[in-house]
Amino acid sequence: MNLPINTSEAELVIPELIMLFGLIAIILIPNLGNASFRIPLTRIHVPVFIGGSRFKSTSNPKLPNQVSLIIFISALFFGLMQNSYGPIGNTLEVTEFSRLFSLIFIAALLLATIATTHRLPARPNVKPPNDGDSENISTKKINALIDNRRQVDFHIILIMVGLGMSLMSMATHLFMLFVCIELASLSSYILVAFHKESKVGGEAGMKYFIVGSVASAVGIYGMSLLYLWSGDLSLDALAIKWAESSSIDPLAGIAVGLMLVAFGFKVGAAPFHLAAPDAYSGASSPIAGLLATASKAMGFVALMRILVSVTMPIEGEAFWYTAIAIIAVVTMTWGNLAALTSSNPKRMLAYSSVSHAGYMLAGLAAIGSGLGSEEAIQLVLTAIVFHLAVLVIFKFGAFLVLSLLETEERGHRLEDLHGLARREPLVAGSMFLFMLSLAGVPPLSGFLSKFLMINGIVNISAGTGASDATSILDWLISVEPVFWLAFAIVINSALSMFYYLRIGLVMFFEEPEDSRAMKDAFSLRLAIVACAILTVILGIGPLSDSLLEMVADAINSFVSN
Amino acid sequence: MGETKNEYRLLFPLLPFLAIVPYLALQGENSSTDFAWMIVVAPFIAFPIILISGQVYNKNETWKNTFKEGGILGLAALLVSLSTTIWIVYDYLIGSADINNNDVTSWLEWISFDILQSDYTMAQNRVLGVGVWVDSLTLMLLFVATFLCFLICWFAIGYMTTDPINEDSNHRFFAEFVLFSLGMFGMVLADNFLWLFIFWEVMGLCSYLLIGFYYWKESAAYAAKKAFLTTRVGDVFLMVGLLILYDIYGSLDFAVVFDDPSTGVGGALVDSGELFWALMMLFIGAVGKSAQFPLHVWLPDAMEGPTPVSALIHAATMVNAGLYLVARLMPFVDVHHHGVSGLEDFGLIVAWIGGITAFMAASIAFVQNDIKKVLAYSTMSQLAYIFTGLGSALYFLNINEYYAGYFVLGASLFHLFNHAMAKGMLFMASGSVIHEVHHAHDHLHHGSDHGHHDFDPQDMRNMGGLASKLPVTATAMMFGSMSIIGIPLIGGFWSKEGIIAKTWSAYFHGETLMLGPALLILATAGMTGFYMSRMWFMTFAGEPKSEVVDHVHESTPWIKEPLIILTIITAVGGFVLAVLGVVDFLSNKSVNLSLHGKPLLDQIIYELEHAFLPEDQKLRIVGWITIFLSFIVGPIMASRVHGGRLKEGEKANLFVGWLVNLSGKFGKQDVSWLAESQLSEALDKRLYFDDLYEGVLARTLIPFADFTAWFDRNIIDGIIKQIESKSVLGSFEIRKFTTGSAGDYILMATVGALCIFVLLMGVSF
Repeated sequence: MNLPINTSEAELVIPELIMLFGLIAIILIPNLGNASFRIPLTRIHVPVFIGGSRFKSTSNPKLPNQVSLIIFISALFFGLMQNSYGPIGNTLEVTEFSRLFSLIFIAALLLATIATTHRLPARPNVKPPNDGDSENISTKKINALIDNRRQVDFHIILIMVGLGMSLMSMATHLFMLFVCIELASLSSYILVAFHKESKVGGEAGMKYFIVGSVASAVGIYGMSLLYLWSGDLSLDALAIKWAESSSIDPLAGIAVGLMLVAFGFKVGAAPFHLAAPDAYSGASSPIAGLLATASKAMGFVALMRILVSVTMPIEGEAFWYTAIAIIAVVTMTWGNLAALTSSNPKRMLAYSSVSHAGYMLAGLAAIGSGLGSEEAIQLVLTAIVFHLAVLVIFKFGAFLVLSLLETEERGHRLEDLHGLARREPLVAGSMFLFMLSLAGVPPLSGFLSKFLMINGIVNISAGTGASDATSILDWLISVEPVFWLAFAIVINSALSMFYYLRIGLVMFFEEPEDSRAMKDAFSLRLAIVACAILTVILGIGPLSDSLLEMVADAINSFVSN
Repeated sequence: MGETKNEYRLLFPLLPFLAIVPYLALQGENSSTDFAWMIVVAPFIAFPIILISGQVYNKNETWKNTFKEGGILGLAALLVSLSTTIWIVYDYLIGSADINNNDVTSWLEWISFDILQSDYTMAQNRVLGVGVWVDSLTLMLLFVATFLCFLICWFAIGYMTTDPINEDSNHRFFAEFVLFSLGMFGMVLADNFLWLFIFWEVMGLCSYLLIGFYYWKESAAYAAKKAFLTTRVGDVFLMVGLLILYDIYGSLDFAVVFDDPSTGVGGALVDSGELFWALMMLFIGAVGKSAQFPLHVWLPDAMEGPTPVSALIHAATMVNAGLYLVARLMPFVDVHHHGVSGLEDFGLIVAWIGGITAFMAASIAFVQNDIKKVLAYSTMSQLAYIFTGLGSALYFLNINEYYAGYFVLGASLFHLFNHAMAKGMLFMASGSVIHEVHHAHDHLHHGSDHGHHDFDPQDMRNMGGLASKLPVTATAMMFGSMSIIGIPLIGGFWSKEGIIAKTWSAYFHGETLMLGPALLILATAGMTGFYMSRMWFMTFAGEPKSEVVDHVHESTPWIKEPLIILTIITAVGGFVLAVLGVVDFLSNKSVNLSLHGKPLLDQIIYELEHAFLPEDQKLRIVGWITIFLSFIVGPIMASRVHGGRLKEGEKANLFVGWLVNLSGKFGKQDVSWLAESQLSEALDKRLYFDDLYEGVLARTLIPFADFTAWFDRNIIDGIIKQIESKSVLGSFEIRKFTTGSAGDYILMATVGALCIFVLLMGVSF
């Protein structure tokens, strides 16, 4: 038998296979029932199990969530265990780099699943409304029933996002890359609009879809131009062709520019980010968290593939250096300025994630300056990937806290956070940690990633300063402009302190509107506390070292390709 | 709270913590210093746990009675620290670790980065991390700190939790206590001047918090502020000193700096003038922390804190920090081992400051009636002894008399040990006295307001004749006082003799400027004899001076055990360690604690001969004058003023009873004429230092502070506010782009795409 994939290759993609089979399982399991098939002309009933009236266990509306949890936990586990790497077919290759990103995506999805348990609750014992019920109660009952019905849909789409993202990080072919991105993106558009009964959700999803599809169209047009230019879309072939050409072909240049638009939308770079705040605030918090972490990481993988693997010259400045540098500075400033006066915590986090994209783009720009040594470039890449990895912990942590608020229909206004410390000291303390980490306060992991980034950029640029300068001013004038990217990050970090600390301020020093303790969402609380602990220990201590080592290995495999 | 309830069962939760270190040691795979981090990390973990659970479970009965409001948790953490320390000390004593090499273990390397140096080149890979530096100085300080912190915590469980005024705030006490311990342990272990400074500041913060523990009392809040600000003056100088050091050596790591102190960064020869100022600045920091003249004013006021705090701050930790820092500076001046010559003046200054403080503090102690204040001034005076000794050591080492230098260095550190043990105990004993007198007073005036407000349980004029009521406390305090006085063969005698003798020998060596400190500390020896005896006799001997005394009895649990342990150490520890050659051990001359191959008896005789009959004729005279002054003159004069026999039918144990009755034999002397003299008035007002400082501050610093406050409000804040309002304006402007219409977004994206093309084209095509 000629399987499309052999066993040694299958071993490389166990997490993805788990997700694939999980996808099938999550469709099948809730439909298991006592249906049987009567063999014609006989009285023998052969049970076929699919359909009929469902068993008690399979009709439990909590089941899809549980299956989804199992899938992501086991995928995470096998992903962590895995240590063999190699190509699969012609368009995929498992490397340390792709494995690390798979883990990042799966971790984010796992957190989203945990949050969804309480954000989109399944209630096994809901009955249809009776005639005697008041209108209010019957609406509630109907909503609960709807929620029960759409559990499966939600988790199918969630797993599809995971599959698309995970495969995307392995893609070595531009076309494959694009297909996987679209798989993940289209699924995430649906997830944004998933709460279709709320007006804002549907609108946000629609807007996000329109802008996103325009960006995709532009990107795919760029890709077609690139194909026209090279005749082969595999990344290796493109890199070779790029290195061979002595000057930059306008066709290829325009193609890369168009693709920058598409990926710029994915990472939320200005001015392509405008739909993002609407999407975040319209979507439920778990989904917003997913967009802010996993989706952004996906965009950066694509950018790194295009900019660093393909179009980065061996020596000298990359042709996109100025463009990316300007976009980076504009993006981080725009994000921070807009976040300053946002009174909706989710919008605030959306803008904050825009500014974080700016920091990482600054890193890419520093690489593009072509001044750095091999080690300095690796340092910056490490910083970017490390940031994307720990972002899952503390940015998603913040969204988890908002999810907890959303379970009682809050979380859309700053006032909802007022006095949270008095109602829920542990949750508020964790939220404060997340905010500090986002702001980059030592010794939290957010500080470490920002520090690595600034250190990398300074490392690339500071050597260019005049060593015979007589004053610091002379030195600053003589240094290459890429140094000022680090400066921009520092200034922007100072600016961002204002809105991050405001969250802490209102949580600890304002009176709560409602002083009751919040819903007892155990797994969500556990996830929040776990994120808070990880925020600390991934910033300092042995665990941060091992994560950094993992990232450094990933970068090694990425650069050597 | 049951008064006599046996509460040892509460200690059972400590057993697993006790087992940690033996388990690790029996594994035998790692050396003890690899686990030195546990000493700091254990209190670091305990601190937030105590604080948070205290806030949450404040009213909970189990938390109150079984966990003693966090005291048991603190004890557990300190037990881990103590047992790890004992493990390390043991390793060094049996010689499995090498005392010759300073053991440096790095236990946390956080991040490394490049820095732009002052010559505008980049230096690679500076590591930010913490390491552990172990040598004999570390070992001694560490043992003193962990051991005393453990005992004081034990004592505090009894003292703090039975005092109704502390209701519901004891978790705060214990949390701050373990944080304080952390600061001390970390400072002693740090392998880097910067970390030393950081932990030094942690201690400063905690001393502020603990002195102001009763923050609702105005005097306590004032004392806390005063202590913090006074030590802060020293800290600023200390920081300047560190900057100069960094400028010289390009690093603050002990390993780099002490490797060869005579060559600085890039192999340049170190200028002794620059180094002198660095050391002076560091010394001023030490002066502030150790409450020496002229930054001594905070210490007496610091007695506002609860008694265990006073004990902790004064005996075990904070004041020793300054001594530790000065002792750390020895390699800079040790010309025998790459030190920088030409720094004799530094040694002289240290010795002079010590001499002045010793004399001044002792004379102020003459007139104090508050039992804790006497001890506070005594502490200042004894620390000043050690500073004088360190000063002589610095002097000797710098003129290459390294044998004498090492000897007096060892003697000074030995005195630090003796003093810490004795003074820790004295504070605890005074705490016991105060606690029981207070209880007795409450008992006596139960339910009535009579005399409640003007009764001061710390005033010795309310005591007297307590010898039979508080036998354990009286015995403990007797040995403590004897050690501080320097009664031959007990505790402090062994070290104090060494300091005085060597300071004089520096004078005989031809340094006339050493005469001042030498004379001052010699006189202080006699004065110490007087004020310590006075305190003891006033408290325990003679007629009871108030009705409360009859109702006093030792009853509170947790208080006796540390007193007994420390009494034994004070009584025999000095002698045992002296015989084992601790002086050589401490001065880092690669000698282990041992009998040096001699039979025990020979070694004892050798030490006794050495102490009483030194070979140098002049030193022999000095030694006997010291003994005469401190042993005979001071105590007899004190007993003439305050002594008195036991009452008929009263019983006290052998030593105490004998001493009390002896004190009655010297007759009575009325000194009230002296108490009304100008001098007494001046001493009572602490020689007007506080008034002077306050006057000077009111004229200089306060107007300046008013000006800076104005500047801060209007200029600095003005700029910040401008930035803020402009940012907010910009924020509103930029958010106008987010219109909410997808068409606009696509338009913006198109504009963005066009910009990208222009940028790409402009650069490359």
